Amino acid sequence: MIRFSLHKKLKASTGDMQLDVECHIDQGKLVTLFGESGAGKTSILRMLAGLLMPEKGTIEVNNSVWLDTQKGINLKPQQRKTGYVFQDYALFPNMTVKENLEYALDKNQDIGIVKELIEIIELTDLQDRKPETLSGGQKQRIALARALVRQPQILMLDEPLSALDRAMRTKLQDYILHVHRKYNLTTILVSHEMSEIFKLSDEILVLENGTITRQGTPMDIFTNRHISGKFQFTGEILHIEKEDIIYIISVLIGNNLVKVVADQSEVQQFSIGEKVLVASKAFNPMIEKINH
Amino acid sequence: MNTLRAEITSVKVHGNLSLVELHLEGTTLKSIVIETPATASYLKKGNTINVLFKETEVIIGKGKGQPISLRNILDCTITNIEKGVLLSKLSLKFKGHSIASIITTNAVEHLDLKKGEQITAMIKTNEIMLSD
Repeated sequence: MIRFSLHKKLKASTGDMQLDVECHIDQGKLVTLFGESGAGKTSILRMLAGLLMPEKGTIEVNNSVWLDTQKGINLKPQQRKTGYVFQDYALFPNMTVKENLEYALDKNQDIGIVKELIEIIELTDLQDRKPETLSGGQKQRIALARALVRQPQILMLDEPLSALDRAMRTKLQDYILHVHRKYNLTTILVSHEMSEIFKLSDEILVLENGTITRQGTPMDIFTNRHISGKFQFTGEILHIEKEDIIYIISVLIGNNLVKVVADQSEVQQFSIGEKVLVASKAFNPMIEKINH
Repeated sequence: MNTLRAEITSVKVHGNLSLVELHLEGTTLKSIVIETPATASYLKKGNTINVLFKETEVIIGKGKGQPISLRNILDCTITNIEKGVLLSKLSLKFKGHSIASIITTNAVEHLDLKKGEQITAMIKTNEIMLSD
């Protein structure tokens, strides 16, 4: 379990902002920090990692105190068991994949973990190559493996997949889920991508202007659960097209593209990229066996 | 999506299904949902809730003819007809409430529907969603 209380005045592009967050995250959960740019998401991750000092605060991870400003406790970044992956891979260009991972080892740490991660994240064929010869998705896999070398208690992912195309992103999401479960990590993700949030998160913390305004499951936070339709999904509008007197809205739900007929009065409130709830009654869909 | 506000007058539960009866301007509406008062707290007699149904699920009838299985029958006036090539949208007024129906242009022509005309709008019980 992670429990933290962090207070700091931050300089945002819109002016000064007071960050005041208190929260606890259960061990083994994957939690998404959700909020607009400048809401304080990355600052929270940096404070947990020990890269940014709050004016006042406490951080307690699995009963050990990492930070207590009143008692003068403040573990150094390397003493905190965190793994950090961000959009920029920051790999050493002069080292091979394997050397990049080995460089992350603690003194006296068993090298076996590098071999294990190379297998789990399927880097065997890439291990002797230099980063410059690899694709963005491959580099991000290495960054993920590297973040796990020191066997962190908290894995922090700051929009790690936002630079990747959709197919690559889906694959990386699978690796993230796999290692999250295998190593029983507590993972904190920063993401704006709705299908990604739904696929990965157990819980969401909504951050607005430096405070956590809501905490709940993706369903709790993003959908109106009180609608009776049992066929409910959330997705993102990709396309709106007028056909005759109706509109056809293409919505990406997970990896599936669905189409929904809508009236002009509804279309007026929608724009491309918007997150929407698609609901129908359980009485309508047809269900049939897929023959292989 | 058509939205009407109506008051729940009864909730008949059987297993996980509820048949909800609602009252709006002297007309009875019915909806069947896979919810019970235990799973959806808004399913309570006396509550006023949202009754939701898609424009494309609104059936149009002219005159009162043969008995029909549809349980939601609204006496409406056509306030506008927007004719497309294949589909047309009828704007309807039901005792002051606006609803819309999308049917084929062929049906509009076949029924010879006109602005100002009295018609009945009908919706199947299983096409109506409820929300608080």
